[in-house]
Amino acid sequence: MMYLLKKLFGMLATLAVVSILTFFTLFVLPGDPALLILGTEADPGALELVRAQLGLDRPVIVQYASWLGGVVRGDFGRSLTFSRGYAVADLIAAALPVTLPLAAMAIFLAMAVAIPLGTLAASRRGKTADKIILGFSQAGLSIPAFWLGILAIQFFAVRLGWFPPGGMPRWSADPLGALNSLILPALILALPRAAILTRIVRTAMLEILKEDYIRTARGKGLPETAVILKHGLSNALVSVSTVAGIQLIQLVAGTVVVEQVFSLPGLGRLILSAVLLRDLPLVQGTIFVGAAIILAVNFLLDSLYPILDPRIRGVQ
Amino acid sequence: MSRFLRTGIVLAISLTLIAGCSEPQTRDSVVVAIPTDPDGFHPHHSVAAASAEIAFNIYEGLVKAAPDGSIVPALAEEWSVSADGLEYTFTLRRGVKFHNGREMTPDDVVYCLSRLFDPEVTSKAADFAGVKGIRAQGDRIIITLHRPDAAFLALLTEFGAVIYPPENEENLSTQPVGTGPFVLTDWQPNDQLTLVKFEQYWNPELPRLKQVILKIIPEPAAMVNSLFTGHVDLIPRLEPDYLHQVEGKDGFAVLAAPMNLVQLLIINNAVAPFDDLRVRQAMNYAVNREEIIQGAAWGKGTPIGSNLSPAMDIWYTDLTDMYPYDPQRAKELLAEAGYPDGFSATLHLPAPYPLHRGAGEILADQLARVGIDLKIRVIEWGAWLEQIYTNRDFELTVVGFTGRLDPHTMLNRYQSDSRRNTSNFSNAEYDELLDQGLLEADPAKRVEIYRRLQTILAREAVNIFIMDPNQLAVMPEKLKGWRNYPVYVLDLAALEWEK
Repeated sequence: MMYLLKKLFGMLATLAVVSILTFFTLFVLPGDPALLILGTEADPGALELVRAQLGLDRPVIVQYASWLGGVVRGDFGRSLTFSRGYAVADLIAAALPVTLPLAAMAIFLAMAVAIPLGTLAASRRGKTADKIILGFSQAGLSIPAFWLGILAIQFFAVRLGWFPPGGMPRWSADPLGALNSLILPALILALPRAAILTRIVRTAMLEILKEDYIRTARGKGLPETAVILKHGLSNALVSVSTVAGIQLIQLVAGTVVVEQVFSLPGLGRLILSAVLLRDLPLVQGTIFVGAAIILAVNFLLDSLYPILDPRIRGVQ
Repeated sequence: MSRFLRTGIVLAISLTLIAGCSEPQTRDSVVVAIPTDPDGFHPHHSVAAASAEIAFNIYEGLVKAAPDGSIVPALAEEWSVSADGLEYTFTLRRGVKFHNGREMTPDDVVYCLSRLFDPEVTSKAADFAGVKGIRAQGDRIIITLHRPDAAFLALLTEFGAVIYPPENEENLSTQPVGTGPFVLTDWQPNDQLTLVKFEQYWNPELPRLKQVILKIIPEPAAMVNSLFTGHVDLIPRLEPDYLHQVEGKDGFAVLAAPMNLVQLLIINNAVAPFDDLRVRQAMNYAVNREEIIQGAAWGKGTPIGSNLSPAMDIWYTDLTDMYPYDPQRAKELLAEAGYPDGFSATLHLPAPYPLHRGAGEILADQLARVGIDLKIRVIEWGAWLEQIYTNRDFELTVVGFTGRLDPHTMLNRYQSDSRRNTSNFSNAEYDELLDQGLLEADPAKRVEIYRRLQTILAREAVNIFIMDPNQLAVMPEKLKGWRNYPVYVLDLAALEWEK
């Protein structure tokens, strides 16, 4: 229990640091939200009025404190970009049903490809199958996602018409259509993760296949498949799950690009437009929620270790 | 046929069917692609062009702009101006309904416009500093001014001056209520907006369509793809870089028209060597506008010689031949100014505007030919507005000024003490003439004044005025009723599908 409490405390501390860093970074960056709103028609009187309307005329510390006070009560404030018409929480709530399934599909696809391929490569080490898999993995790592995304749209959406070229209907309005518009972006997002994870699975399996207990298992006459799957893979998954957690962080970063290319109304696109428009409450809110999701996943993985690995249970 | 192949085909067909289902297109609706979300629909708080162009279909003011740039009746059936130019009398149209079902009253007009004129309420009040008062008299609205303001009526066509029911004030940003031909029924930020026909619109002829969906698609490539797959019907503002993909494509029409934008290379007149008239003139001689229009806008633009676009019609005077392309003359002037070997400077280009970046790169190349070596620095929009526009901490930059209906609001940024005077231009003759322009009641004399103002800007080579790029609207040939305006609006009311 102490183990989980410690982790939970670390998680909250990290969130606090993230929120302070994003808040003050935005103040240091050039670019005034009031000026961005008024554009090339701005004059000093108008700027002053807009700043006051947005509450930007208060000291930074006061702004941060009032923001933090809101968050504790579950209120992330109002976005500046829609004349303060939308609550940040509502915008994020609308974006999550896009980004979470997208990320989940991508990580699932990546694992579904990486675990069999990595295991196969390890068991055929140095043979043709291994070389081909490593070659594909190298290619998957080197191809930029946005470029592949554009090609995929051209071919599968514009030429073949299998998928929409961008955008996404709401789940409630058209669930099949919504799912269909996530397939292509999830594949694009999954590719580099699959490429890395394949290598991780392969390396982890190779390490484990050298272990004494594997020799014992083979020695007692178990079939090779059983040795690899039961004794090899189940142990390799502990280290793979750690890496998968880190991959998830990169996946969240990847959604910024993929959501832009596929015009998906998700969290990544929300973050991008918020940063470009210096929409402080929206940037704060989206980054905070993004960080919270990543931390929550890591926390879940951490709490899974004791189940996956009895040795950690022992330490407690 | 192998089982594998068969499974593949079945899968492909079912996926195609799924894709087909999500297509919302019928004959009485249209899907329009726009690049960004509006910033809300409260007429006094929203300032983004993206809002104003959509709000044009939801709200109306007393008067509005017509496609030819003239001012036509909207909520006012007619109006008159007193002989001294100080009193405007508007006769309201009877029986106009708001989207909430209530009939519009003169009190609503007085309420909305009083708020617009109040600097405590809105930053837009700055344009109306000359207003003395507003009152209702029967079904007439009377607005009095402190001094004649020839630009006043044009300002009343803008988004800020629309009329809304005061009882809906609170949620106007996200739930606008106006008198326009369309009602906003749904807005999913970052995704789409839905406009539905207002059945009680005062003009029974309009709108022709039952529904318009505005899809927010940030990537121009995605807009074009969606057009080709039928997910989008209309791209009102196509990036010129994508013109070659749609031009000549069967079944699609590209309608090009001047957009009334002044694209220019802003010169900081206050810093050396640009404080020397000869240097600025040399730069103007060194520039080949046709080459820029070809290279940056794929030929879709009109060269300009001062700070007004030909779209401004009678106000415009053609000054493009004041500095013909003459690199030799440019070198002579540079030598006279003491720079026989040229000089180097920094050119800041705004990142989100491919058209301005493209023009800037070509300009840098042309200026290099006369010995002016420009270091290009691409700068994010937020930083551009702060460092360059507000602090004027720059040498050269390329940007576009959006056109307004009246020339005064386009030309007053060059008045010495204007806070929008990014060029740091200062000229006593210009300042005085600009003030005269507002007081002049005789239209012919007013035209003369604004032509002289344009000539001063050109003569003093304040900036390099480049072009008015065309607005490129792309749609299927069967979609009719597209109307182009010299102001930043999107007129959806007259759109209809060919039978």
